[in-house]
Amino acid sequence: MADLKDRIEGLRKAFEAEALKVGDAKSLEELRTAFLGRKKGHVTLLFEDLKTVPAEDKREAGRQVNAFKTFVQDGLLALEGKVRSDGRPARAMDLTLPGRKKYVGAPHPLVLFQQEIENIFLGMGFAIEEGPEIETDYYNFEALNFPPHHPARDSWDTLYIKDDLLLRTHTSPVQIRVMEKKKPPIRIIIPGRVFRRETPDPTHLPMFMQVEGLVVDEGATFAHLKGTLEYFIRALFGEKIKVRFRPSFFPFTEPSAEVDIECIVCDGKDPSCRVCGGTGWKEILGSGMVNPQVLKNVNIDPEKYSGWAFGLGIDRTAMFAYGITEMRHFYENDLRFLRQFGAK
Amino acid sequence: MKISLDWIREFVTVDIPRQELLDRLTMIGLVADTVEERDGDAVLDLETYANRPDTLGHLGVAREIGAMLGLSLNEKNWPLAELPQATTEIAEVQILSESLCPRYCGLVVRDVPVGPSPDWLERRIEAMGLRPINNVVDVSNYVLFATAQPIHTFDFGKIGGGRIVVRKAKRGETLKDLDGRTLELTTDMLVIADESRPVALAGVIGGEASGITGATRDVFIESANFDPVGIRKTAKKLGLSTDASYRFERGADVGFAPQAALMAASLLTQMGGQASRGLIDVYPKPHQPKFVRLRLRRIAELLGVDVPESFVVEVLGRLGFRVEGTHKGVWRVEAPTFRVDVGLEADLIEEVARFYGYDRIPSEFSPVRSFDLSVNRKRERLGKIRQTLLGQGFDEVINWSFADPEKEAAAGSGLRPVDIQNPISSRASVLRTTLLPGLLENAAWNLNRGLEGVHVFELGDVFYWEGDKHREELHLGLLTTGLLPGAGWTSAPAETDFYVLKGAIEALMEALRFEPVAFEDRDHPHFEPGQALALLYKGLAVGCLGALRKSLAAASAGDRTVFAAEVDLTSLFEKTPRIFQYAPVPKFPGVSRDLSFLLDRGIAYQEVGQALAKLNPSLLEGFELRDRFSGPSIPAAKVSLTVRFRFRHPQRTLVAEEVDRVEQDIVGHLRSTLNIQLREGKIDNRT
Repeated sequence: MADLKDRIEGLRKAFEAEALKVGDAKSLEELRTAFLGRKKGHVTLLFEDLKTVPAEDKREAGRQVNAFKTFVQDGLLALEGKVRSDGRPARAMDLTLPGRKKYVGAPHPLVLFQQEIENIFLGMGFAIEEGPEIETDYYNFEALNFPPHHPARDSWDTLYIKDDLLLRTHTSPVQIRVMEKKKPPIRIIIPGRVFRRETPDPTHLPMFMQVEGLVVDEGATFAHLKGTLEYFIRALFGEKIKVRFRPSFFPFTEPSAEVDIECIVCDGKDPSCRVCGGTGWKEILGSGMVNPQVLKNVNIDPEKYSGWAFGLGIDRTAMFAYGITEMRHFYENDLRFLRQFGAK
Repeated sequence: MKISLDWIREFVTVDIPRQELLDRLTMIGLVADTVEERDGDAVLDLETYANRPDTLGHLGVAREIGAMLGLSLNEKNWPLAELPQATTEIAEVQILSESLCPRYCGLVVRDVPVGPSPDWLERRIEAMGLRPINNVVDVSNYVLFATAQPIHTFDFGKIGGGRIVVRKAKRGETLKDLDGRTLELTTDMLVIADESRPVALAGVIGGEASGITGATRDVFIESANFDPVGIRKTAKKLGLSTDASYRFERGADVGFAPQAALMAASLLTQMGGQASRGLIDVYPKPHQPKFVRLRLRRIAELLGVDVPESFVVEVLGRLGFRVEGTHKGVWRVEAPTFRVDVGLEADLIEEVARFYGYDRIPSEFSPVRSFDLSVNRKRERLGKIRQTLLGQGFDEVINWSFADPEKEAAAGSGLRPVDIQNPISSRASVLRTTLLPGLLENAAWNLNRGLEGVHVFELGDVFYWEGDKHREELHLGLLTTGLLPGAGWTSAPAETDFYVLKGAIEALMEALRFEPVAFEDRDHPHFEPGQALALLYKGLAVGCLGALRKSLAAASAGDRTVFAAEVDLTSLFEKTPRIFQYAPVPKFPGVSRDLSFLLDRGIAYQEVGQALAKLNPSLLEGFELRDRFSGPSIPAAKVSLTVRFRFRHPQRTLVAEEVDRVEQDIVGHLRSTLNIQLREGKIDNRT
């Protein structure tokens, strides 16, 4: 018995000494074989020797041998923790596992882009106004200086509910509603859904989002319109973007201007550019000085006050900004599309 | 409008490089969408505006170019071979409807050899994208595209009695037009008639019977001016749009009608015809000149730049305006008859600005002279709703406001939808009364593409008739079905359920401080019977939530259960939320105890709360449900609820005995009111 005990004690010391030298998988395997090897392992041999131990000592001897086996196994396990197969020390925790994220929903890209636009104007002291989507002919057209039966209405192809009731074709009727109830100075933007009787194609849909802006004040000038819209465009597309204003026609503004920005897709170098058609310019805003007739329609004296206004399509501007080629993606609500705009 | 640069040179001598010309045209508002090369010519497709009919002809565009480059228009001669016979001896013109036809000019060209046009004329017609027909028709098209004044040519031999009568159509009259269609005329339509019947639909299209054919010898040239609204109404009513009606409905140049007739006559006489002497010109109320006052000061005030006086006078002069100084810096400006768009000082300022150059107007920041200090509550609230729902893991969608009437009916909101008179398609012919069908389509779209769960919300308006008034309300729609997002390597994917939906609603009502809300069992056509709740705030039902009817959900989500909610935000926002007040953070520790009860399945959890509210025990700070359980260890008709009760005294630390007393009150009260039994031992947690 004492003999066995000494042997075990000797082997324990030998194991501890060898264990200190283990630095890689190979030496660990050698140590394992030396102690647990099926034929000549020290522990295996101890079990062999147990057979010769007298019956009355067998129980205690067995316990000691088993305890030593557990000690070796634990020791080997602990060593396994220190070496990896390629020899690198193992990690206590693998911190490179992916983190646990709460899923946060994705905001709709048009809402996101609209908020971006709103924030720029809020910073310039504009307030946000809204209005109904079902409108009367008066607010949608007549008050905005579209006479009945005027061909100018053709560009605002309309979905009618009744003769006098329609789905607003632009957010401009809200200009009239606000000017009717508030006195200048007025400094507002008007986001919202608008509707046109358009045959769907990649850049036209019967429903889309618009943001309208209106300033009415003493001394409001075309120079202010230019300065503000240039600032807005640079805030949205970067400091370096080129902007140009060119004459256009809208019944409710005079003079009117279309605002183009340089094509950030091809820089005007690709004659078949799907964004600018090779012109190098992309139209993004309609604008102008509020037609004095519109001011008269809401009892604002055009001799005392002047105004300027603008409107832009959120969808098409967002398409340009994000490189989206099909407007209908915004309304298909494919989550694989929408979620690109959220926290991933 | 197609514009041939070669043709332009008939009117103004342009010799700058083409690209420079195009760039400069853009900057005065004339944008060429495309440029087509044609045998050394370039044909522009020019964008034109509804208020500028003068640019619907080469002359008008040439005038713009002239003003832009400081060039005068070329003088052109229109020689005429005349007969001794006066026009009035051959033909007679009578206008019976002066308001619809302010002017009518005409003359006859005899012995026109009808045949192919000369090459130069065919080239012009082809440049406009048309096929040459014969010299007479081509000449009238030539004048139209050259000057924007539509003219019409009749076979004079077919004009009964040589009489032209401009009148409204009589009841039941028809006209077979040049394209062979039989037009049913109504009494508000203006026609050109001979002594007995209509021979043309005025300003829109000619009649077949009086059209030019190979057999035509004498041609009557009509160059008239028609009321734009009359032409537009007629053309719209008949579904016709012609080069003539397109120009008349925008406004033709009333002053140019005689000149256009003479141009056409000159060309036809150059081809061998002989014109009757003198023009018939019926012009009962000659155009009164339009004068507009223009102030130099006002130009600076509107544009924000000082434009030199000399520039103003020069540019307006080149554009055909008569400018006469009245005081220092003030002019009386007479608009030419072709500028039907000019009536206000601002219109003239636009002309000045266009040619001065928008790019030369400085860019200035618009001064803020006052702030709108009112808070836009609605937007603030919508922001909170979005934030809350995104945080709850719902994605935001935007659906069409249009709806399929069949799907609307199936959804069964019970509201009368608003019809669109002229919808894009029969499946989008009404406006939605509920957001639900749109959300179901989103579920179908995404599940069909392999996603295992859809959890979405939309903020948008719904519409319906209430009597003869239309209503427009802002709604919130929510839908959840399938696996919840956010499963990772540490947690298995979980299936959504009703309480995910309800939790989202509770969270957003809390975020908006519309508290406390109540829920009531209430069936609704969207939902399975007994699986729907109404959401109430201050006694008003503002929404509903539940498990969608299988028959409604199956087409989109198959076997999956779909949970959905809809909240009427317009009604909710009319209510006042709870005013937020801070509550002091407790100074003394509280005690919480978990009690498990057995209760009948028929009793709703809400009733437990109501019973406790009625008892209103002192020291009870609050309680929440910790566990709900049913199974073999308890009777089948019962469920087990574990509720955590939180006790606290505001001024001191609690002792166990007083908590015991309150706890006994609670247990006793629940037993006596709802027959709820205490289930097992209690757990005492000091917190």
